[in-house]
Amino acid sequence: MEMVVTGKIQMRFVHCLISIIVALAAAPSLRAQVSPHVTADQAAKLQVPQPVVDISSPVTVTAAFDPPTAGVGQSVYYRVAIDGAGEAAVRWPGSISTPRELKFGPVTQGQLMEFLGNSFRPLASFLYEVKPAAAGHFTVPGFMVMVDGQPVQIPAATVDVDPSVSGPPPRRLMLEVSATNVFLGQPLRARVLLPASPQNQIEALREVEFNGAGFMSDLSTVRQTVEMTGINGRSVPAYIYEITLTPIETGPSMLSAQAFAAGHEFFGTTITARVSIQGGPPHYVFLDSNPVQVNVRPLPAGQPASFNGSIGTFTLTAPKLSTNRIQVGEPVRLTVAVRGTFDRLVPPAPPNASDWEIVPDNPPDFSFTLIPLSDTVRQTPAIPFSTFDPSNSSYVDLTIPSLPVAVTSEALPTEMPAVVDAGTAQGPPLKLGALSPSPGRSAAGLVPPQLRGGFVCLQIVPILAILGLWQWDRHRRFLEAHPEIVRRREARRVLRREKRRLRDATRRGDAAAIVRHAANAMKIASAPRYAAHPQALVCSDVLNHLDDADRSGAAGETVRKIFAAADTRFAAAPQMQADLAALQPDLDAVLLKLEEQL
Amino acid sequence: MSAAIVRIAVLIFEVGRRCRAASFGGNIAKIAVLISLAVLAFSLANVRTATNDWFADGVAEYRTGQFADAAEAFENAAVVRPAAGTFVNLGLAEWQRGHAGPAILSWERARWIDPFDKSARENLNFARQVTQLDEPQLKWFETLSIWLPPAAWLWLAGASLWLAVGMILLPPVVRRQKAGWHQSLAACGLCVFLFSLAANWGVVSRTNLGFVLENNAPLLLTPTRDGEMISTLTPGESAREIRTLGDFYLIRTESQTGWVKREQFGLVSRE
Repeated sequence: MEMVVTGKIQMRFVHCLISIIVALAAAPSLRAQVSPHVTADQAAKLQVPQPVVDISSPVTVTAAFDPPTAGVGQSVYYRVAIDGAGEAAVRWPGSISTPRELKFGPVTQGQLMEFLGNSFRPLASFLYEVKPAAAGHFTVPGFMVMVDGQPVQIPAATVDVDPSVSGPPPRRLMLEVSATNVFLGQPLRARVLLPASPQNQIEALREVEFNGAGFMSDLSTVRQTVEMTGINGRSVPAYIYEITLTPIETGPSMLSAQAFAAGHEFFGTTITARVSIQGGPPHYVFLDSNPVQVNVRPLPAGQPASFNGSIGTFTLTAPKLSTNRIQVGEPVRLTVAVRGTFDRLVPPAPPNASDWEIVPDNPPDFSFTLIPLSDTVRQTPAIPFSTFDPSNSSYVDLTIPSLPVAVTSEALPTEMPAVVDAGTAQGPPLKLGALSPSPGRSAAGLVPPQLRGGFVCLQIVPILAILGLWQWDRHRRFLEAHPEIVRRREARRVLRREKRRLRDATRRGDAAAIVRHAANAMKIASAPRYAAHPQALVCSDVLNHLDDADRSGAAGETVRKIFAAADTRFAAAPQMQADLAALQPDLDAVLLKLEEQL
Repeated sequence: MSAAIVRIAVLIFEVGRRCRAASFGGNIAKIAVLISLAVLAFSLANVRTATNDWFADGVAEYRTGQFADAAEAFENAAVVRPAAGTFVNLGLAEWQRGHAGPAILSWERARWIDPFDKSARENLNFARQVTQLDEPQLKWFETLSIWLPPAAWLWLAGASLWLAVGMILLPPVVRRQKAGWHQSLAACGLCVFLFSLAANWGVVSRTNLGFVLENNAPLLLTPTRDGEMISTLTPGESAREIRTLGDFYLIRTESQTGWVKREQFGLVSRE
């Protein structure tokens, strides 16, 4: 047996070895998997040429005052444009060397990508608002900045400040906001305006940005128009960039806008005013606006749980259901219309209702699709919704109320055709039964009494009854074997009755009855000893029941007197009542002794 | 329930009569008896009113087609007093709502209380024809146990046992000669007792019989919410409860064993 196993192992080893050798020998002749060959033409067709960002061309820098001539105290702009470098590539100095008579404000910077047909070229721009404090010819000397690690010379710029000059102010943006006193989260509308030039020429704006901490802009709300608008009491055409800003921090905040004037690049702009648009390549000019202070207040405390951030003066119309008779699983649409002025409207989240599946419709629709999951529901679930009304600084509960519905379920069949066998109907058709007119036979519960302890406990009653019967029978047999016990028990019972009669007779003073009951009591107390009827006993029988001392003493004398008195009923002269009264204590003592012997 | 209340009323009446006969504390006894009778009548009226109100409400709702409300009313009536007719009507309301599982369970409960209820039996036959489900497979002693209501088997067992014991023990106690009919009665009592023991065991055995309530209720491999599903069950399908763990029953259907959620399975003999 061991030899056979060893032989099998050897055979398997040889087979493995042969397989490895064959695999190694065949390896060089096998082809590896190659990727499908794609020619250069095919690859070119697959690739879409993308414009490149031109950062290799030499950087050109311009620096100038706008306007180059100004009056004392009139704002001018010192603008530096670095063509060929992005904003991040420029290391702008914290402060630059300027004449003392020129008051420089903080720097504003921005960038855009110029499209040059087949490439993009970055343009960074830096802007200072300058207020000349004195007349004269002032020069901001040239200085070096680092652009992409390379030094670049910023050229000098000059401005002539002449008190006699009162030219038009420099071109700048105008910023208007719909509200300057808002609550946290209450959106406001910001309008950036670039008025047309005196020659009625209009320019578009690009890369509009807002400076100011604590605001979030919603780019989906951007609206760009060229329309007539009132500026300084005059109706002039202007390029208007509108957007919704949402304050996300409380406190006062300075808001300003910046953008590049971009010539005729009106992308997505609606033009309704009669203006002229300059042709030729655009000349990008970096502009900024006047700052606007916006005061952001926190929402008051006590927000309801159903407040979801909706702010405005709302009213909801009565909710409407597409139908109020539905089947389980059938969708029904609940629609609510919102009226009023709202800054921010967030549809309420559907509540968790076990009997309903609630699907909110896509915003901004204010409707829900409700699907009943059970036919026990009688009304749609109330949808909690609270808003904040900034006009009176209070929360308003606009919970969508429940609506009554009748939900039914798909019933099962209540009748079936008769069973058909070989073309013949057999028996009447099967039908669902009718209602039972009364509750019928009832039970204490569905749990059977077999699983309750009560019935087992109830079996103790017959057991006790049988035990009682057995005990009674045993006792009866015992008394049959000992009749003296029965006689004594009977004697005690009758003696108690005679003593009671004796007391009654004594109370009445009936001498004859006293004697009769006293004698009877003594006979009854003595009878069990003789197993005789009490009336068969005489005085000597009672005396024999006493010991010698009593028999010869007062007790014996009392017994004799009582029996003697009892015997006198047959005589003519009865016993004196006074004697009987004197005998009463001795009589009681005798009866006590006789009773003790029972 | 009503029989017990009547017995208590008779007892109170008898005590009152004896008190009057003994002429002690006559007025106090009369007042006590009157108060007891008033309380008893009030309790009796309340129980009857509550039950009948729910039942009548259910019948009225059913006739107007409000089957969900009817089912709720019959359920309340069954909670107050489980009765065969109430369960028959509850089953009808559930059937009309499209709930085959609860309907079959209700009719099985009606038969549990009253095995002679014809409408429950016919409705079950109809429901099983419609749903193409078989009756639960019963063992011989379980089949025996459905001949009488569960309580009847227990009383029969108790009465037959003590009859036999009495016929054996009582003649010597009462000093009667043992007669042939004593022994015949004892033998009959013992036979009935042994017969009813099997039926009682069948009743106990049937307490783990239940029915699937929900459509496509999953039979799970483990008693967990995300347990692996073995198969889905048909509403009204019968199964045997093996044991309980948390919110799950371990059940055995005709072909497989697995866990099912409590709310998806109803036992005939448990509320």
